[in-house]
Amino acid sequence: MPTWLSISTSPLFRFALALLVLGLLRLALLSIWEMIQAVRRAGDRRIAFRRVVGETASWMVPLTRIHRARGLFSIASFILHLGILATCLFLGNHLDILQANFGVSWPALAKPVLDVLTLLGIAAGSYLLLFRIYVVSSRKLSNPMDYLLLVMILGLLVSGYLAGQPWNPIPYDGLMLFHALSGIVLLILIPFTKIAHCILYPLIRMGSEVAWHFPARGGSEAIEVLHGSEGREI
Amino acid sequence: MTLSFSAGTGSSGTAASNFFHLDPTSLSASRGDRVEAFLAAFAAILETSNYRFLLDLYARTSSKCGRCSVTCQVYQATGDWRDVPCYRTKLLLDVYRRYFTPAGSLQARFSRNGYLKESTLEEMAELFYRCNACRRCKLECPMGVDHALVTHLGRYILSEAGIAPKGLVVPVREQLDGLTGNTSAIPLPALLDNLEFLQEEVEEMKGAPVAFPVDQHGSDYIFFPAVSDYLMEADTLMGIAAVLKAAGVSWTIGSGYFDGINYGLFYNDWVLEKVIGKLVGETRRLNAGKILIGECGHASRSAKQYVPAFASEDSPPVVSILELTWQVIREGRVELDPTAIPERVTYHDPCNLARSGWLVEQPRQILHSFVKEFVEMQPHGSRNYCCGGGGGLVSLDETHKFRMQVSGRTKAEQIRTTGAEIVATPCANCKKQLRELMDYYQLPVQVVGVHDLILRAIKF
Repeated sequence: MPTWLSISTSPLFRFALALLVLGLLRLALLSIWEMIQAVRRAGDRRIAFRRVVGETASWMVPLTRIHRARGLFSIASFILHLGILATCLFLGNHLDILQANFGVSWPALAKPVLDVLTLLGIAAGSYLLLFRIYVVSSRKLSNPMDYLLLVMILGLLVSGYLAGQPWNPIPYDGLMLFHALSGIVLLILIPFTKIAHCILYPLIRMGSEVAWHFPARGGSEAIEVLHGSEGREI
Repeated sequence: MTLSFSAGTGSSGTAASNFFHLDPTSLSASRGDRVEAFLAAFAAILETSNYRFLLDLYARTSSKCGRCSVTCQVYQATGDWRDVPCYRTKLLLDVYRRYFTPAGSLQARFSRNGYLKESTLEEMAELFYRCNACRRCKLECPMGVDHALVTHLGRYILSEAGIAPKGLVVPVREQLDGLTGNTSAIPLPALLDNLEFLQEEVEEMKGAPVAFPVDQHGSDYIFFPAVSDYLMEADTLMGIAAVLKAAGVSWTIGSGYFDGINYGLFYNDWVLEKVIGKLVGETRRLNAGKILIGECGHASRSAKQYVPAFASEDSPPVVSILELTWQVIREGRVELDPTAIPERVTYHDPCNLARSGWLVEQPRQILHSFVKEFVEMQPHGSRNYCCGGGGGLVSLDETHKFRMQVSGRTKAEQIRTTGAEIVATPCANCKKQLRELMDYYQLPVQVVGVHDLILRAIKF
């Protein structure tokens, strides 16, 4: 059995997957719990849940939200997400790994479809990377992790695509070893990086709404903590 | 833009230090008192507010895609990356991550990067007060990050560390601790004289006795305008009084407290809470049914949103004068002359009224009911551009050049494009900013309140 294949069924892979699932679950439960506490503390607990859920849902299909000043950026972002999700969750080889490890699987997408989505994902990811590098307002917002994550995702898409092509010029086993190991590293990183939005996204807009609902005596209590019961002058 | 900040009222920095993930006394010795005060204030606010869970969410997910830049009028005018809303938010999130999360604590053991410095505080003070807090950027954030809420929190923490603009602090001091009890420092006898004058004026103009009732116990409404309207916006007040008279509404002004302005919404939750307390206290003293807020964006939003939050469950309902006026027009209780306003009129949406969708249609329905030629700015309604004076900036004289050349530039262009002769807007702050803008860009456009036009058209 090649090394890359043994990695895919190794305890390391299972550990990474467990860390991913438990890590994301912990973040989601923690965030929901904290939000419930915030609503409980709020002086006015009437939250516009329906409106916020509607807004959140409408952003789930961001192609309806393209801004003319950032049209290409929006489309690229959508395509990259689509490419990642499709290849991660519906590639036959990935589903085989899932079956081998946990005995579960579901229907895969046809390889030609995934090839197209992967190529589009690579193009979109490259555009977003260049955007981050060359557009000053974006570069100044970025830290090393923002680049690293994008490069890792691109590396996974490129190596996965090449490995599936008969004309692949790179030694197959080496390429797959790189793909499997970097995939495992990314799985481990997800709960600790901004990719955690894959599970927290539905909560962010609601959080923004809830946080405007201040506790009835929050301001006074902050003054008491800082200055004692005598308070401070204005 | 150089802001003039008030003398320090900073905190001791000891009471809430248990919130730090790293002992603050072990930090760099070069840090000044303001840094200590900022971190202590941050800790105290996190402990007593609802901000912490949100900062956790934002810190875990913010992708910093910068899409907010396409909607921010300040960034559009300057092109300076420091004006991208995401960058401003990042400044505060970096401090939060570094000092208030376990990951930040861990990082501090390996690296000295990320210590809060005086220079970062100065950058925050500058950037948080370049923001109009108009919440337009939230419309375009794919994640749903509310940068204006972070601006609000940033200003709140800064103010508790003794860093707040004098233009906000001094009026608030007069409002909450001063002899007059209002932000414009109007003594009660002067107010009463003024009301008498307004009464005579409107009677002379309309030939009908229109009263400005004071201390009428048990009225349906108690009226709180932006108190500066008593000095600056006589026509707005006369228009409102005329509508209430024509519709037979029972209302009163309270002599104990008569100021709707609440700068707490701009910079400090404690101030916000105290001002709401005064509003509700006067309402209960006079046993009024509802709080009626005049033409003022931030006064309306702060009362609508925070009277129920701060004044317990039996808090009095809050109504905007725009809601009430549209209601009485719709019910046919007010007659308006459709030929009274021949000029081309446009409407500017105050962000605090329109962004949430609360008061978008009502003012337009009012204007459509009697204005002959109405033209919209593009975009308008909940996607409007701020006048450039939002977030309290219009009260800071030192920001004049910034408001004219940067934050208000887009609005001036919008108004010019409409070809309107009159801009109507139901907000004292917007009116001040727009008048200065029209003067600065030499646009022959009159800036008035919605009720200024109603005053011209109302028939008795």
